[in-house]
Amino acid sequence: MTSNLTLIFNKGTKRSQHNFIPEMDIDRADLAEIIPSSFQREDFPLPDIPEVEIVRHYTELSRKNYGIDSGIYPLGSCTMKYNPKINEVITRLPAFSQIHPLQEGNQGALELIHQLSEMLIEITGMDGFTFQPAAGAHGELTGILIMKKYFENKNLKKNKILIPDSAHGTNPSSAKMAGFSIIEVRSNNAGEIPLDHIEFAMQQGDVAGIMLTNPNTLGIFDRQIKDITNIIHKYGGLCYYDGANLNPMLGICRPGDMGFDIIHLNFHKTFSTPHGGGGPGSGPVGVIKELVSYLPEPSIIATEQGFVCREKTNNSIGRIKCFWGNFGVIVRAYAYILALGAEGLKRVGQIAVLNANYLRVLLKEKYHLPYDRICQHEFVLSDRGIENNITTEDIAKRILDYGLYAPTIYFPLIVKGAMMIEPTETESKISLDNFVEVMNKIYNETKTNPELLKNAPFNTPVKRLDAALAARKPILHD
Amino acid sequence: MDFILHDKETIAEMLTSIGVNSLEELFQDIPADLLLEKLNIPHGLSEPDLLRRLEELSNKNKIYSSSFLGAGCYYHYIPSLVDFVISLSGFYTAYTPYQAEASQGYLQAIYEYQTAITRLTQMDVANASVYDGSTALAEAAIMATIATQKKKLILLEGIHPEYVEVVKTYCWGQDIHFEIVMEDTLISKLDDSVAAVLFQSPNFFGDIENVSELVQKIRDKAPKCLVVQVMTDPTCLGVLKPPGKSDIDIFVAEGQSFGISPSFGGPGLGIFASKQKYLRKMPGRLIGKTNEIDGEREGFILTLQTREQHIRREKATSNICTNQALCALASLIYLVSLGKTGLQEIALQNFQKSHYVKQKLATIPGYQILNKKPTYNEFLVKCPNVNKLIEQCKQENLLPPLIISKYFPDMKDIVLVCVTESNSREDIEKFIHAAQKASNKNIGGN
Repeated sequence: MTSNLTLIFNKGTKRSQHNFIPEMDIDRADLAEIIPSSFQREDFPLPDIPEVEIVRHYTELSRKNYGIDSGIYPLGSCTMKYNPKINEVITRLPAFSQIHPLQEGNQGALELIHQLSEMLIEITGMDGFTFQPAAGAHGELTGILIMKKYFENKNLKKNKILIPDSAHGTNPSSAKMAGFSIIEVRSNNAGEIPLDHIEFAMQQGDVAGIMLTNPNTLGIFDRQIKDITNIIHKYGGLCYYDGANLNPMLGICRPGDMGFDIIHLNFHKTFSTPHGGGGPGSGPVGVIKELVSYLPEPSIIATEQGFVCREKTNNSIGRIKCFWGNFGVIVRAYAYILALGAEGLKRVGQIAVLNANYLRVLLKEKYHLPYDRICQHEFVLSDRGIENNITTEDIAKRILDYGLYAPTIYFPLIVKGAMMIEPTETESKISLDNFVEVMNKIYNETKTNPELLKNAPFNTPVKRLDAALAARKPILHD
Repeated sequence: MDFILHDKETIAEMLTSIGVNSLEELFQDIPADLLLEKLNIPHGLSEPDLLRRLEELSNKNKIYSSSFLGAGCYYHYIPSLVDFVISLSGFYTAYTPYQAEASQGYLQAIYEYQTAITRLTQMDVANASVYDGSTALAEAAIMATIATQKKKLILLEGIHPEYVEVVKTYCWGQDIHFEIVMEDTLISKLDDSVAAVLFQSPNFFGDIENVSELVQKIRDKAPKCLVVQVMTDPTCLGVLKPPGKSDIDIFVAEGQSFGISPSFGGPGLGIFASKQKYLRKMPGRLIGKTNEIDGEREGFILTLQTREQHIRREKATSNICTNQALCALASLIYLVSLGKTGLQEIALQNFQKSHYVKQKLATIPGYQILNKKPTYNEFLVKCPNVNKLIEQCKQENLLPPLIISKYFPDMKDIVLVCVTESNSREDIEKFIHAAQKASNKNIGGN
């Protein structure tokens, strides 16, 4: 069988172009004098490929890939919003993109980080930030390590942590990386945290605190959030805010006011930096005053002589990443906040919630909505009641046939056959109506033509792929 | 400015569909005392005003005509097509490719990246990348403890000091013990309780180890101990023997040198590769090739996800869920653009040019090259007057080398010099001139 695929490595030629090699302008010494031949490699299995072939190959691949510039990208908890083009220009300004992390003459960069920190303090109600974490999960690890250090310093043995069953998968996984064991809190029928459960857990004395996202992955704002954080604090615990779902709260409500002590943000979600197909992200961590000294080093302070790095503190958890964090991403987030300003940020929160609720009421006419109440940035449907053994996955694949992207599926785990939908604020009503129309057509197809769904997609570059085969016999490179 | 599309009428219409009277009503679940009056953030900016503001801010940073600073972040020429390709919307505005059939382009590109990395390193398998070199090393450390079920690590002196700090933070989180040892005591420290030896080559001071020999010595003393190699500038692999040919178990590197701009140190790229037998202990995303369930064609898909946090939660191999996809793509484009010929020649030019500078410096009174082993594009120089050298470099508009006492306070009057293919002969002569001026009180200078 000849493969339908052509990899870039098959586009090599014998004529090598030297387009990217500067002319050697010093006399060469005998290489063996510099490096023994036994240290040298013998073969180099990469071809020489003409520039034109490379550009055509990847232009073609980019066309076989859906992005937010293609249309609605309703992945729940992923906040796929439009990425403003100006931010791409700004981050490429030579005096941002060409500076070395260890150079002097970095006042512009330090000032940017410092100002961004001040604005995030205002937006979240925290007292200090670090920008070192490279992504949301990395921010979670940072935050949880701060919790660990805090209790170590107090000589308290608190090795357990409360995490609701609706939490993002990273929460338990990050907590484990900091040596905590996890107590899962079961959400009640309203999708909220039962107060008596956390009170009971905290009474045991070995629980460090709680990791929560609010609004949670059902899109529900926990009405008792103040009671939850109060209970945790009453027993000396700390409250961690997973900022993956912060978008609907912008300008509306602050995690600090809810009673949270530590928070991470996802710049690639809430603050519009491109996801890039899975990175680079940036996951800054904010903390309350009592915990500022626990943040990773270096942190930046303003002095009369300019912006400088803070001296080492005894409390700091240490370094979590080389240098200053993903500065190129940080610049984009800063530009986004400056562009929107206070009014623009609030409008983001409002319209994100408006769009989600609009989809919710229109889609629940056909699809099962297990938690039927006002939502915030997202909501969760299920495949309950869908006939002919059609699954959530079938529906998702069929959405692709209509030229759109599918929601997050089978998450959160507490809803069987979940479809988690987050439209974000940057979709028009026409785009939302179109999504509803597609979902309704698919609903009709579940009754009239179930085979169509079971075999979907048809209009994509390949039909449904065999995930089980890929895992059973991993082929990870050519 | 903002990026909202609704006018007032549309908002009213949508509110009616929802069955509420106002936007405020959508936030009815939030207790009233938590609702914010107003953010104390300045008024928004238009695009031209924003650009002017950020240009002004960026101009407070200094740009030099040429750099002699490396230490984990390097200046190499980046082909124009790299930025062109990563700016294609299908790539940079995509999410992690959960829906494989609508993401074949990116999945294929990352599969090609994994292929390029395995060919470059000659390791069995490479993942879709992790955050950067420092976290790659920390993840490798943890992976080694998972694979061996042991909680003790040995780090060989010469690893980038910031990488060591990151490893220390991660290890503290999981109660993993580690020790930093000098090369001459390494073998005596090894026993069955050690999960892995971690070392950097070329190391932070520039030394290139005899990797095959080092691995053999470790194997002889502690056969079950894993050997982990890290690199901060893998362009050297254009010439140097790849880790896969030296029996390395886990290889990690900072991939910034492959087509990613310095950007004040981030984002970079965590290259992560290992032997086949450790595949299921590996952190991070993996892209695999598979077939259509009901057809003839091949395609690509995220695979072995049962190692990952979104399925396994606290039982996952790591909490990582993003890779550095766009940076991995940039490095792929860099690698295929340079190709075999280019990558070999770039590495050769780095060897040759830094060798040239080394030899020139050695002839200037008061300067002494401290490396006893072969070096790639970085080396240590003892100087007669460090501060004066730095000052002279700045006067020549050269980004000065690293004063090594920033990380090692006991190492006085020593700089770590980095010379790459991006330094022209003219830049190099300027640097040597600056060094000469800084050696002699009688000629010029402050």
